Amino acid sequence: MNDTELISQILNGNMNAFAFLVNRYQKLVVHVAGRIIQRQDELEDVCQEVFLKVYQNLGNYRNECKLSTWIATIAYNAGINYLRKYKKWDEVNPDDSAALRNLTDYRVENYETTDLHRYIREQIELLPVHYRIVLTLYYLEEFSYQEIEQITGMPEGTVKSYLFRAKTLLKEKLKFVVDENSLKLVKEISNEK
Amino acid sequence: MKNEDLSEILKTSLKAEPNFRLPSDFSQKVTQSIARHEQWKTDLTDYFYLLATLLLLIILLAGSYYLADKEFLIRIVTFLKLYPVPVLFLIFTLNFILLTDRVLLRLLFNRWKINQ
Repeated sequence: MNDTELISQILNGNMNAFAFLVNRYQKLVVHVAGRIIQRQDELEDVCQEVFLKVYQNLGNYRNECKLSTWIATIAYNAGINYLRKYKKWDEVNPDDSAALRNLTDYRVENYETTDLHRYIREQIELLPVHYRIVLTLYYLEEFSYQEIEQITGMPEGTVKSYLFRAKTLLKEKLKFVVDENSLKLVKEISNEK
Repeated sequence: MKNEDLSEILKTSLKAEPNFRLPSDFSQKVTQSIARHEQWKTDLTDYFYLLATLLLLIILLAGSYYLADKEFLIRIVTFLKLYPVPVLFLIFTLNFILLTDRVLLRLLFNRWKINQ
């Protein structure tokens, strides 16, 4: 069932169709909201709020953008509102220096090479919120720059700049823990998979 | 060489799913919650419609008495003016019973069903 059919079914009051929509897009919502709020205990409530808004505003949805983009926008706004509500203003405003401070704080000697991917994931969570969200939307959800612009309201240039800076920061963090030998090992493991 | 490899590892990690999870019955929970929310809205709208209908009936009745038996209507207005507190209490009680019957009991029953 495509999105247009799904929407018309939901608007006709079919709750099973809505459950289907939730199943289809819950990963997207979890990734976007989760990367913003970073709290597993609050995540379910925020995601419920997102889908409630989706249901209430589905009648206003026009096919100007993909349904996934529209849902991601709602999830992004819900996440940012959550941060604002709990007064994490410093989280809402990106700050390279804070992330760089974390870089030195999290320096680990002889990091297990097999845990390198986990290490990067941990480091992503330490990045400023706008960096995290741009990385998630671009790499994990594979949205285009234009779509990310629609979702976050950031200009395309800013999106590209955040992506570049986030990757540079992560690469710098990686350089602290990785050496030539461990790099070869990780490559071997990745190839085996 | 090293930089390219780092980029490759980074890209793989960036495409990996974060560790945030939702319960397996999440879609069911959301659907039920929305159904409850919609039910609450419908119940509240029904209550207000019923209240408006009752008020309209009272106004129509008062209007017809004004035309047919003006004296009776004046006696009623005098009675209301004489005993405002008991009259207001009666109106409040009847209104509360109506609200409980149409909205609150259904809401409580739904919550009780969920807790079960």
